[in-house]
Amino acid sequence: MDLAFTPEEQQFREEVRAWVRTHLPADIAHKVHNALRLSRDDMQRWAKILGSRGWLGFGWPQQFGGPGWTAVQKHLFEEECALAGAPRIVPFGPVMVAPVIMAFGSPEQQQRFLPGIASGEVWWSQGYSEPGSGSDLASVKCRAERVGDHYVVNGQKTWTTLGQYGEWIFCLVRTSTEGKPQTGISFLLIDMKSPGVTVRPIKLLDGECEVNEVWFDNVQVPAENLVGEENKGWNYAKYLLAHERTNIADVNRSKRELERLKRIAQAEGVWEDQRFRDQIALLEVDIVALEMMVLRVLSAEKSGKQSLDIAGLLKIRGSEIQQRYAELMMLAAGPYSLPFIFEAMEAGWQGDAALGISEFPGGNLANAPLASTYFNLRKTTIYGGSNEVQRNIVSQMLLG
Amino acid sequence: MNFDFSDDQLQLRDAVARWVDKAYTFERRRAITQAGGFDATACTELAELGLTGLVTPEDHGGMAMGAVETMVVMEELGRGLVLEPLAQTLVASTVLSHTAPAPLQAEWLPRMASGEALVVLAHQERKARYRLEKCESKATLTLDGWTVSATKNMVPAGDKATAWIVPAMVADATSGSERMALFLVERGAPGAQAAGHLTQDGGRAATVTLDNTPATLVTLNGLAAMELAVDVGLAALCAEAVGVMDKTVALTVEYMNTRKQFGVFIASFQALRHRLADMKMQLELARSMSYYATLKLNAPAAERRLATARAKVQLGQSIRFVGQQAVQLHGGIGVTDEYIVSHCFKKLTQLEMTFGDTLHHLGQVSEGMQETAGVFA
Repeated sequence: MDLAFTPEEQQFREEVRAWVRTHLPADIAHKVHNALRLSRDDMQRWAKILGSRGWLGFGWPQQFGGPGWTAVQKHLFEEECALAGAPRIVPFGPVMVAPVIMAFGSPEQQQRFLPGIASGEVWWSQGYSEPGSGSDLASVKCRAERVGDHYVVNGQKTWTTLGQYGEWIFCLVRTSTEGKPQTGISFLLIDMKSPGVTVRPIKLLDGECEVNEVWFDNVQVPAENLVGEENKGWNYAKYLLAHERTNIADVNRSKRELERLKRIAQAEGVWEDQRFRDQIALLEVDIVALEMMVLRVLSAEKSGKQSLDIAGLLKIRGSEIQQRYAELMMLAAGPYSLPFIFEAMEAGWQGDAALGISEFPGGNLANAPLASTYFNLRKTTIYGGSNEVQRNIVSQMLLG
Repeated sequence: MNFDFSDDQLQLRDAVARWVDKAYTFERRRAITQAGGFDATACTELAELGLTGLVTPEDHGGMAMGAVETMVVMEELGRGLVLEPLAQTLVASTVLSHTAPAPLQAEWLPRMASGEALVVLAHQERKARYRLEKCESKATLTLDGWTVSATKNMVPAGDKATAWIVPAMVADATSGSERMALFLVERGAPGAQAAGHLTQDGGRAATVTLDNTPATLVTLNGLAAMELAVDVGLAALCAEAVGVMDKTVALTVEYMNTRKQFGVFIASFQALRHRLADMKMQLELARSMSYYATLKLNAPAAERRLATARAKVQLGQSIRFVGQQAVQLHGGIGVTDEYIVSHCFKKLTQLEMTFGDTLHHLGQVSEGMQETAGVFA
């Protein structure tokens, strides 16, 4: 047993740190460190910078042009990116669909789609949830009917994150209603510029349009865009979910945000308030415990000789912690988190002449996004399999 | 970074687990409590397994193992709800081998390792609660050597121990103020008394009173030595609590899969399933922090102190939740003396208040909190 990373792992961390700190544009890091609004261009700029280094697909094996990193190296890479203030990699292409294409796609699909994902050129979206299929994903109804060398897709997807920017979308579509719901699902890649695709942003409680509805009205999709076999899509989706879960705890980002919470607490005068400070201390302990749990999972992956049944807990705890730091940041500012000035969450905002406001009415401009972030992060215990679904899974493992 | 146990460590775990399963049954434990909460035979059996010499240097007859082995052993003793205070032997051995003069080490460490002598910490004072620096006991240097006057409560198996390790204040000639020193006091020494009693977990403790009792100086650097002692004790306690919680969760799983109400196993009720998932969460967070405390024991003192405080904040919360919810999920049988789960609950409760509770350690973490988060591990 050893808590310290090996000298090799430590050296790897140093190399990644040096590179990330050199190449991450300062304006982007500033926005991330202050929870200011990121544009499509910000996110894609960073994706392309990573792509140029071959690190956008940081989890990819070497045979597909990835770095072939170990689980620990991937963790260290994500940690260094998070601590430096890099935007989170938009996962739908490099983290989600790419592994499915590698594992189940044809060589033609691999050659066609993987390069654009690796470079950050092509923006992918995820078409999983539907109005009637949230946690119960296997009940998807969006139809794909085979007509000659095409599928004709009709139906609706929803909660499509950043789908307004999407160029391609991978979808779970129903190709059969025979048997169990899981056995009639296929995994289809759809060009979002196809006639019949409509994207409508959904305004969320924080005023942002982070997610979208996507409609398919007789959309023609070439049959060659089917990944793997027809009606086997559920297996591929489960494979993808396994990949999605590796960094689901997001502990690296929580470490960065804990530092921000401490900055806010100092600026707002509650750092010396024992009652408030204890709450920060409690969160710090929670984050250390979560990090230790993440490291235990990584260690088990590294050695491969013990199976660990705690990965499901990471999502629950990680999401609760994200909500807690956002809550404490907001509470630190108290009433000064309450002014809602949408534009003040843009970098460089200097008041609004039309409103006759020259400075943020919440005192410190850093307070502008606090309540919005708090509201926004309520999603974390809902998405990716709600925490209640996760508890079902955890108890199922224990009780059989 | 690696949390695998070595083959030797796994063998050690198996050996202790086998002893617990075969020799330390619930019936035997009940009998020990009825007989006063301490069994010298069980102590001998622990010694025969080599556990009393686990961390003692080899030249003093020990196995010279480390914190990870201690964790492994304590987890299994926790699983068995073992009452005899092995952790105290490990704490005392560590403190003596780190801080005592060589002759004192040579005199005591081999006897402690063989199980011939039981040495325990006697530090709890009425007005100090969990604060180590608060100490009203006095030590005086006379022509015949040191004497100590003190009243110490909740001394584990205090009236059965061979000797106690006692912190007391001494006059510091150079500064004119007082400083804490650590002494070894034999139970049979003149002026020493120990009034034993049961504790809530079914074990034994004593109030020790010393009245100008002859004592042997362990170290004049008493506070640092006490901090080391308590940190070693905390790491051992965390592991023990993980063992108890592991057992408690397993008992609860078994009960949910056998108890029927409304014609179905109660394991089918989602309200109960989610509670169990939350118990598993608290158990694994606790286990993670038990590893953390253990692996930080060799860090510089300030870092070590922070780590054990953080660990106890997590453990304290986990202990409370797992214990209370296990009783709740068991229903009526959970509040009986007959069934084991109430004994797990009481053991956990006692561990929560040993070496500082959650609020105490949260205070420590909060007080020493840095402005940056940094990298923890």
